[in-house]
Amino acid sequence: MAVSGLVPARFLCMIAHLVLTIVILLSRDSNVKACLPLNYSPNEYDSKDTELIVGLSVALGLLVFELVGFMGGISMFMSSQAMISTTLHASAAVSLAYFIFDAWPCGHYWYIFGFCSAFPAVTEIFVMIGSFAFNKGI
Amino acid sequence: MLLYFNAFYFPFWIIAIIVMLEAKYSSLSTLYQIILVAIFVVMTIIEGIRVYLGYLGNLMEKVPELAGFWLLTLLLQLPLTLFLLLNEATMITPFERAMHIVLTCFVVLEVIIGYFAIRAMVNYQVTKFHLQQFTDMERIQNLQFQNDIYENRYTQ
Repeated sequence: MAVSGLVPARFLCMIAHLVLTIVILLSRDSNVKACLPLNYSPNEYDSKDTELIVGLSVALGLLVFELVGFMGGISMFMSSQAMISTTLHASAAVSLAYFIFDAWPCGHYWYIFGFCSAFPAVTEIFVMIGSFAFNKGI
Repeated sequence: MLLYFNAFYFPFWIIAIIVMLEAKYSSLSTLYQIILVAIFVVMTIIEGIRVYLGYLGNLMEKVPELAGFWLLTLLLQLPLTLFLLLNEATMITPFERAMHIVLTCFVVLEVIIGYFAIRAMVNYQVTKFHLQQFTDMERIQNLQFQNDIYENRYTQ
């Protein structure tokens, strides 16, 4: 079972996703402005800003949770979970790069979050339950 | 394990730092231009040596290499990474901030876990040395016994 290249690839994709999420958290101004009408009030700006902050923080928390599961060894050598995780986090990193550079409106972020942050975390939870409760190894 | 992933993370960190430095070079004060270039060169070299020493010391279980790695990490990389992360006058971009956060986590965890790893390895080698001394003593006692037999035979 050739997991020799898969483990660092999965790690690097997760770190790329993490770095880009932190970057957006620190510089989300243009994205929030892109999803507001041309003359907006500060209240509208604040509500959209809060939405985006909540989404980003939850994504950060789920990513850290998955990183803990990976580094703790629970799912490091399971190739199916690694494949799902690598592809989804890589596509999340690419989409987040487009999100930053092309100033996508903040509504698009929820699609990225749903597919590429929530889904790997859910599969990670399933893997953890499987390995703890049912003693399912590699 | 931390060293393994650190080795993979290192080239991406270098590329990110070079790009960010090039982007903000013209808008820095002269002092910080020089400081940042110097820090970048020093950190690249030290990070390469450090990860190599740590990897070799860990796999071959050699304490001097591992001790060298731990000292380099504690005394050089820790202050340098904290400087890069916390000094606002170098105009830290958000991208740089994120990359430095990851690198700082690596360095801090390596300092903590490296201490315990070196302690365990030194204890194991001390025990091995003590046990080795007992087998050496048995060999010396056997030689003494044989010398006494020969002395008795010739002096009769």
